[in-house]
Amino acid sequence: MTRTLTITATEVPSGTVLALAGDLHLHTAGQLRDILKKTDLDAGQQLIIDMKALDFCDSSGIAALVAAYRHAQKSRATLALTAPSARLARLLALSGLDRFLALYPTTAEAQAAWTPPSP
Amino acid sequence: MTFTSGHVHDAASSGEGFDEGNPGFTVPETAADLLDDNAEDLYDNAPCGYLSTYPDGQIAKVNKTLLGWLGRAREDLVGRLRFADLLTVGGKLYHETHLAPMLAVQGRLDGVALELRTADGGRLPVLVSSTVKYGRGGRPLLIRTTIFDATSRHSYERELLRVQREAEKARAEAEQARALAEVERARLQRVVTTLQRTLLPPTLSAPEGMEVSAYYHVASADQVGGDFYDVFPLSEGRWGFFLGDVCGKGADAAAVTSLVRYTLRAAAVYDPDPVAVLNNLNIVLNHEYNGDDPRFCTVVFGIITPASSGFTLGLAVGGHLDPLLLRADGTADYISTRGGLIVGVFPDPHFATTTVHLAPGDALLLYTDGLVEARVDGADGESDARYGDAALRDHTATLAPTTASDLVEGLTGLLTRFGDGLDDDTALLALSVPTPPERDDQ
Repeated sequence: MTRTLTITATEVPSGTVLALAGDLHLHTAGQLRDILKKTDLDAGQQLIIDMKALDFCDSSGIAALVAAYRHAQKSRATLALTAPSARLARLLALSGLDRFLALYPTTAEAQAAWTPPSP
Repeated sequence: MTFTSGHVHDAASSGEGFDEGNPGFTVPETAADLLDDNAEDLYDNAPCGYLSTYPDGQIAKVNKTLLGWLGRAREDLVGRLRFADLLTVGGKLYHETHLAPMLAVQGRLDGVALELRTADGGRLPVLVSSTVKYGRGGRPLLIRTTIFDATSRHSYERELLRVQREAEKARAEAEQARALAEVERARLQRVVTTLQRTLLPPTLSAPEGMEVSAYYHVASADQVGGDFYDVFPLSEGRWGFFLGDVCGKGADAAAVTSLVRYTLRAAAVYDPDPVAVLNNLNIVLNHEYNGDDPRFCTVVFGIITPASSGFTLGLAVGGHLDPLLLRADGTADYISTRGGLIVGVFPDPHFATTTVHLAPGDALLLYTDGLVEARVDGADGESDARYGDAALRDHTATLAPTTASDLVEGLTGLLTRFGDGLDDDTALLALSVPTPPERDDQ
């Protein structure tokens, strides 16, 4: 386990991609919450949290994902989670969050599923 | 080619005659000039003090270097003072009681540290070495003494001592800080233990005819865990129980745990329907933590009512691991409760519900994720392997049929075997209905 978390933010046409790498837990979840505060979203945009390189996520990590969901909702944007590991997908299913959070196998698929807001 | 013997003769005529047996220097003048060195000049201007005394201590000869250090004229010393007169009072005493006798016996002294008194009343730390020159029949003729200025060495030693003292002081301070940190840590651990205890029920009040047992494994002595459980009486013929896990750890999580526990107990009194209880908890948490630091919990809440044989358990589950049912026939299976949402994050949640009949010989196990998420050695060297649902079911099946206390005891042993692999808090709560004792009419 790496125990540390690296977050890379990228602007894409659909909105923002936050790529997480490493461990999302009690001591690193604050990093994600801090980045969220600095991530401005427009109505109709998409916030993608890419978990392809995320090795570990505990309940504090899940709480940070809920914070991301709330952050997107506040701006009337949407949240998409991409490429969760089997264990994380199971954790999301157990928590019942999989019915509220949109899950995609890849960020490309998440962006393809996004429809731009009508002007 | 000329010789520079004149200087040698000067030295010889000045008293001691240290060139005895020396035929003189045969160094070419040009080279001598170049080196600007010869016996007399070396004697007088050597980088150390030279002193010759007669056996009674009277000074016979002294070089310029030493005179310069002492700030005295040659005529004040030669033939007037003894070597001991140049020393401090303590040094003089030491010279008379130790050095002089030692010199008489051994014929030499090596590197003795003494202090000379200078003309201006100062003290000059020196290192003194002496040899005795003997005449015919072994009679001592002269004592030749070399004196090194030990000021720099003295200050070096003083510096060394100062550094050593500072290091000792620093070490003492570090030791004190460490001891203080130790005290602080012990105090923190006492607070954590106390806090943890207040978050867990002192006793579990099970209905008659039901056995309950619980265990709490604390993963960290420094941080309060977020697991919780309780079994408590409600109205006549009705009991409530719950087990769950608050996200996070530490003081913040402890505050949530406390809120969750009291809300669950109060809500159960207000409306004992398990879903209504979780809805109430959801409202409280969602209201309390609706900002950018959400707090939630996973929980199994149940109402116990007596049945004709055993008990009926009505359960509502929010995002928690499936309870495990160990039947009297020796089977162990999960009770599927999927679909329930974690409590506290959304305003209008759905919770899974189910009803379980606990007959004599049956046992129900509720547990938190520390148990199934414990790290184990994976098959085929798989890294980061976890104990998992299947292993837990298979293991408990070997214990079934069992009682609540035996089940908890068996699983406590399992937790112990996990060792360092158990890195999260783990709570266990087991409910069982004892098998009536077999009648022995004989």
